[in-house]
Amino acid sequence: MIAEVSQGASMSFPILTALIFFPLFGAIAVVLSSNRRPEWTKLIALVSSVGTAGLSIWMLASFHTSDGGFQFTSQHSWIREWGIGWHLGVDGISLFLVVLTGLLFPLVIVGIDPHHGHKRYLAWLLLLEAGVMGSFLSLDLFLFFAFFEIVLVPMYFLIGGWGYDQRVYAATKFFLYTMFGSAFMLVGIIATAVLAKNSLGYVTFDLVVLAEQASFGTNTARWLFFAFAIAFAVKVPLFPLHTWLPDAHTQAPTGGSVILAGVLLKLGTYGFLRFGLYLFPEAAVWAKPLFLTLAVAGILWGAIAATMQKDLKRLVAYSSVAHLGFIVLGTFAFTSVALTGGVMQMVNHGISTGALFLLVGMIYERRHTRQIAELKGLQSVAPIFAAVFMVVMLSSIGVPGLNGFVGEFLILIGSFENARWWVVVGTTGVILAALYLLWAYQRVFHGEVDEANASFPEITPREGMILFTFIAAIVFTGVYPKPMLDRIEPSVKVLVTHVEERSGRTFDPDVVEIKKAPAAEEEKQEEH
Amino acid sequence: MLNTVWLVPALPLAGFLLLVLFGRRLAEPKAGWLAATMCGLSFFVTLLVFLDMVSKTAEERSHVVRVFSWIPVGSLQVDLAFLADQLSITMALFITGIGTLIHLYAVGYMHGDPKFSKFFIYLNLFVFSMLMLVLGENLLVTFLGWEGVGTCSYFLISFWHTRDSAATAGKKAFVTNRVGDWGFMMAMFLAFGAVGTLSYGTINSAAHGGSISHVTATAIALMLFVGACGKSAQLPLYLWLPDAMEGPTPVSALIHAATMVTAGVFLMTRMNPVIAEAYHWAPTIIAVVGAATALFAATVAVAQNDIKKVLAYSTVSQLGYMFLAVGSGAYVAAIFHMITHAFFKALLFLGSGSVIHGMHHEQDMRKMGALRVLMPVTGFTFIIGWLAIAGVPPFAGFWSKDEILLYVYANNRGLYVVGLVTALLTAFYMTRQVIMVFFGEAKWKDQSEEHGAHGDFVPHESPKIMLLPLVVLAMLSVGGGLLQLPFTKDLHFLEKWLEPIVEHGEAHINGSWAYDNKYILMLVAIAVALSGIALAVGVYGKKKLPAIEPQILANAWNYDRGVSAFMGGPGRQSFEAVAWADAHVIDGAVLGTGSVVRRSSGFIRKIQSGYVRVYAAAIVIGVLAMLAWFMWRGVA
Amino acid sequence: MLFAAENLVGPSVPWFYLNPLFILLGGIVVLMLVGSLTPQWPRHWYGIVSSVTAGVALVSTAFLWDNVTNEKPRAIFGDALALDHFALLGTISICAAVFLCSLLTSDYLQRDSDDGPELYVLYLTAAIGGIIMVASNDLIVLFLGLETLSLSLYVLAASNRRRSESQEAGLKYFILGGFSSAFFLYGIALVYGATKTTNITGIFTALSSSQSVPRNDVFLLVGTGLMLVGLAFKVAAVPFQMWTPDVYQGAPTPVTAFMASAGKTAAFAALLRVTLTALPTRVDDWRPIIWVLALLSIVVGSLLAVTQTNVKRMLAYSSISHAGFMLVGIEAAAHPNSADAGNGISGVMTYLLLYTVLVIGTFAVVGLVARKGDTATELSDFKGLGKQQPALALALTVFLLAQAGVPLTSGFIAKFGVIKAAVEVHSYAIAIAAMVASVIGAFLYLRIMVSVWLEDETAENTRIQVPFLTGLVVAMAAIFTIVIGVVPGWLLDATQQVAALTGR
Repeated sequence: MIAEVSQGASMSFPILTALIFFPLFGAIAVVLSSNRRPEWTKLIALVSSVGTAGLSIWMLASFHTSDGGFQFTSQHSWIREWGIGWHLGVDGISLFLVVLTGLLFPLVIVGIDPHHGHKRYLAWLLLLEAGVMGSFLSLDLFLFFAFFEIVLVPMYFLIGGWGYDQRVYAATKFFLYTMFGSAFMLVGIIATAVLAKNSLGYVTFDLVVLAEQASFGTNTARWLFFAFAIAFAVKVPLFPLHTWLPDAHTQAPTGGSVILAGVLLKLGTYGFLRFGLYLFPEAAVWAKPLFLTLAVAGILWGAIAATMQKDLKRLVAYSSVAHLGFIVLGTFAFTSVALTGGVMQMVNHGISTGALFLLVGMIYERRHTRQIAELKGLQSVAPIFAAVFMVVMLSSIGVPGLNGFVGEFLILIGSFENARWWVVVGTTGVILAALYLLWAYQRVFHGEVDEANASFPEITPREGMILFTFIAAIVFTGVYPKPMLDRIEPSVKVLVTHVEERSGRTFDPDVVEIKKAPAAEEEKQEEH
Repeated sequence: MLNTVWLVPALPLAGFLLLVLFGRRLAEPKAGWLAATMCGLSFFVTLLVFLDMVSKTAEERSHVVRVFSWIPVGSLQVDLAFLADQLSITMALFITGIGTLIHLYAVGYMHGDPKFSKFFIYLNLFVFSMLMLVLGENLLVTFLGWEGVGTCSYFLISFWHTRDSAATAGKKAFVTNRVGDWGFMMAMFLAFGAVGTLSYGTINSAAHGGSISHVTATAIALMLFVGACGKSAQLPLYLWLPDAMEGPTPVSALIHAATMVTAGVFLMTRMNPVIAEAYHWAPTIIAVVGAATALFAATVAVAQNDIKKVLAYSTVSQLGYMFLAVGSGAYVAAIFHMITHAFFKALLFLGSGSVIHGMHHEQDMRKMGALRVLMPVTGFTFIIGWLAIAGVPPFAGFWSKDEILLYVYANNRGLYVVGLVTALLTAFYMTRQVIMVFFGEAKWKDQSEEHGAHGDFVPHESPKIMLLPLVVLAMLSVGGGLLQLPFTKDLHFLEKWLEPIVEHGEAHINGSWAYDNKYILMLVAIAVALSGIALAVGVYGKKKLPAIEPQILANAWNYDRGVSAFMGGPGRQSFEAVAWADAHVIDGAVLGTGSVVRRSSGFIRKIQSGYVRVYAAAIVIGVLAMLAWFMWRGVA
Repeated sequence: MLFAAENLVGPSVPWFYLNPLFILLGGIVVLMLVGSLTPQWPRHWYGIVSSVTAGVALVSTAFLWDNVTNEKPRAIFGDALALDHFALLGTISICAAVFLCSLLTSDYLQRDSDDGPELYVLYLTAAIGGIIMVASNDLIVLFLGLETLSLSLYVLAASNRRRSESQEAGLKYFILGGFSSAFFLYGIALVYGATKTTNITGIFTALSSSQSVPRNDVFLLVGTGLMLVGLAFKVAAVPFQMWTPDVYQGAPTPVTAFMASAGKTAAFAALLRVTLTALPTRVDDWRPIIWVLALLSIVVGSLLAVTQTNVKRMLAYSSISHAGFMLVGIEAAAHPNSADAGNGISGVMTYLLLYTVLVIGTFAVVGLVARKGDTATELSDFKGLGKQQPALALALTVFLLAQAGVPLTSGFIAKFGVIKAAVEVHSYAIAIAAMVASVIGAFLYLRIMVSVWLEDETAENTRIQVPFLTGLVVAMAAIFTIVIGVVPGWLLDATQQVAALTGR
């Protein structure tokens, strides 16, 4: 089904390619810009990031809502000798991740001041954006791997160059840990292409061809799936491979943390969907119990560990481990409701946690500490700041009406049929989320303010503007998620159908339905 | 007219948004007036809807209004829709009604508070959420309200957040409620799994149609009840409610007495067909938990000295009564008691608030006394509230409580006895409170310096704006019984009104011994109430009998302490252990790998000594190894 | 032998095909004779002459490419030399190495102000030896080339009279090199004993008929083993790598670059040719050896680098683990009955070419940082390079990332090629092991980048000058690294033909 990309929206202008190259050229321009005119450097960075954002919005606008296939695809041969092509495409699963990437970077560039080495900082950021865009848009295994790996470099330098006291340790850990995962994936990717030759007759790294036409032996597929899974599990990060995350997050500069939480971690969960499930459906189904267990373990472990953190940023980092556990849980339930929720949650976690890191960064800017023990009673001195923090926190807790709830709820209710007991346990994570966040909030914002915090400044207009965009996204998505769901669901359904056809198992009532009449609507009329 | 039901929650929401935007500029008292107006308008609309509904036939009364499609994914089609029917409108009526009164009261009570306008932001948001809860057409919209009220109650409990106790209480309330929410979510998942939708209509008709298995129905019922236990402060999750008294008194009256805490009862009533489908032991569990809570809380209330704590435990106890009713299939009685309780408990809380206000934020009853002279209106209305809750005819409380006891008797004698004992205790501790606060000698005279007041300190009556609500509520507490008088079927207005909602769940006791001899039971109830009062007068008024207030009761049977001790002790330690394991075991493995690499590197490096002889030796070893291999190949 | 002289018939000599060798020879003559007769030439002239010679040789080799494509690979010079794309590509790599290293050396000598023709002459001589190695189709000829190369390298290593390390390096290299050459020569003798020929094609034919040489012939087996030892020493595979760090550190930096590029290329080409042309019928005997050598080299190389603080030593170890990767390619090529075995050969040769450029670029930067006297090569000496010379630091970063195998660099293409080859013949274990070990290896490149970018310069880190020629080399290398990383197609096209070795 997915192979029929032609029906999707497409335009003469190669917008996806532009999405990758615009920030890339921006980065080069920044590097070449003169040191004597820093304001120009800043302007270039701004223009290219805002331009990218504009492109992503344009793409969103011209996206065919009800089409589950890949859209705006652009395909050119690249390294013919190895069957590698420049194949880009976007579908409901990647759509909002791309848009999120497009919007997050300008906000970070505008909103956060690196204090030193602006030029290099901006160059790395833009290079990072190009890499992330590429990873989300690639439909060729080699291309994806290239971007997936290249992303490490700018992130390494951002953490190492602009981070806090432990930065080099954290950056190195991040780089090597992720590279370790990728080592397996590279072999897996090559093996996939090579072994597909038996059924295809030729070697290709094209994802769509491999997924739709190639066939692997059951055991082969399972090995290959695991080769991919290790890389993604590290990236997510999935319990127990998560320990690089707290260090990376804590030591990274605010901008780095926001990007890391906002989009980089999604490379893992996205990878599971786009490559794990799509390429090796049967293996994924076979591995279901393992990954569900790890996901739930991550939810609880992350939440509990978060509760006990003394560093506010570390706390948020661990909360990410828990949230991403939910996404993996939804991914391996194989129902379109759960998967849609998973994709939704990827975006929402990006927004909420990104905002949280932004806020923690602002606290650090003001107090030069992230130790919860050293903060107290901030609500009295900075009520607006506290209010914003509260809203973001509630969305992270998953209070209905805010974005965090929608994804979480869909994941849980969608997984309940296939993964009942995992859901029963996993849902307790919702309780813990309230526990660690509210406790932290109480310690930081409530109580009598002491003299150390008495002079805590209220948010500035610039910060307010940045935060407002986050709040707006949080509220809108929570109240009216339909536009997103309508675009995500078709692609997810296609994927679920693919998984069911290949694995010969049925998970999803809906998929059966779409083959029958559109039953859902009728039901709705019947009520009352 | 029914189509305009969306206006009911929309108005408080508008108030909320307006206050968020302009609250600071409006400031006191305009912000308060705005909020009150919105709530009042909402009440007015509800009234119109209600009247329109009355004019319709029973069939037309249930009406669904879809605003927009909220979360549509595949077979999960959740609309943001309202269900206007007898139950929801009844709820909406007293929520907006009492809400408005309390808004007015708060304008006076919060006078001079620096965060005056913020208070009304929360208050309006709460009313909005509460209306979403009751008007929701499906479980998810209800859940939206459910969480909303929880959040607002968190905001309002920790309203004076500089007080650590307040902050802690708010957090405790939220987290405890979350435990309940877990149950609520499970119920939703089960219902969706069984029926493929979350709409009440479909689920209930499916349940009644028998297309939900008994097992599933039982599971749903019990999970909903877990949720209800959280929200409505039943054992074992009641813990947060007494602490919630940290919030401003209007909040205690509105949220923690009249409206939010009754959400659980509402939910069970809403889903009564499902409960009816469950195995018979499921309702029994509900009834037993309700009865246990009622008795437990009543015993605790006997030994409290904080004027609000008494009312808090009394609320828990009364809620237990309602669940006892639900468990006995007396849904109408439960709703009836919910309404009357809303009247008199709100009255009592506001009264206590007025007292606290007059006493300059003194809450210890041992420092009060003889206030009826200084606070005539407060005293008078408070006494009415007392009579109502104590179950003295013809006040509202009597009728509803009697109705419940009637059904309980028919259902289970043992629980009936528990109910009677609770009634006795209720009368006792309320009398105790009234005597300590309004009668006896004035113990506040010698405490001028403790209070802010300079010179000699004299408690004062509260301003009119605060007294008006008291008077109105007092009237309602007197006349509330008219909703459902037991004498003839024609007087069962509420029962007739709610009949379509509860027809599947309601127990039918006609012809049972209890029904035929309900007047005997009525007399028993009256006797119990009066004896409770007499007893209290004997102990605290005439001082004839010794006061029995063991510390264990004051400490609520040490249950709360036990839980806190566990959380602070083993609970916390286990969490610490996890954090430790994360840093030392899991990350330790990672770092271990690193150090292994470093060590082995150091080891090999030693061989790389720089001496040619060593290098040559290495080469020779390599050669020998290689030759050995080839030799082996040769012979093999 | 002398009596045989009368009826000695000289083989027909296809001069045209030997152009590269003659050109290099010409360069030597010019530099040595003219250089010694004439007074000191103006600055940079020796170096430019040498690199121009290499450049011309390279171009002339390129001209031969199509010729071979049309007239198929064949043995020339009485089967002494093989004329195939494999040899040509090897020649190109070596010439490129000379070309670049001469430029570096020129600046290096200017800085330490002892300019002269000697080093260049040695480069060219070594190059000739190397080219003979990659083209040799006879073990004796191979040995000839090997010794020519080695002897020049020994002297080159010791060429810095001012630094005792340099002398020591030369001596060590000489002793151990002689040691290993002895093994190699003995190996040749034994193989000759078994097969009655030293001609590689001849050995192949002799072995392919199993009755002439039994499968478990001890002479052959031991001979194979000893030849492997000799070549393993040259490619610096563990456990025969021990000379590498000392020599790489001690030798003048441009020379190190030359050894790591040209030396490796020649040695690997020889190893490939001997194993795959002469002994393909005995793969089961020697493939496991290659497997073990590969694994050991990658792991030990990466491990040792972790605790080093001297950058030249680090790069020595990294070159060892790179050698391991190339051995993975050879292991892949050693599956004669697999259709894809050829990809192993082209994989390794591509790797060699790309690595040549990479490593020269890297050492070029290191040489600059080493400053006057060529001594400042500790990690600490790199501190603050990013602030001082951002462009140079960026180039170094590119080289290091490429060596770490980060995508969109030539290094990744190289690694990808050999890993792909390994996977194609289902050698998954070695492929995964190699990739995982390379994670350890990455740590060393990160450490260098840390001191370049993330640590502030210390007082004694004097400002670094970037002379023109070296800057040119660095720029060319960096651009090449990126370009190949992004559009490797054309190169892969060419290298795919390499797989067709003469006599297979």
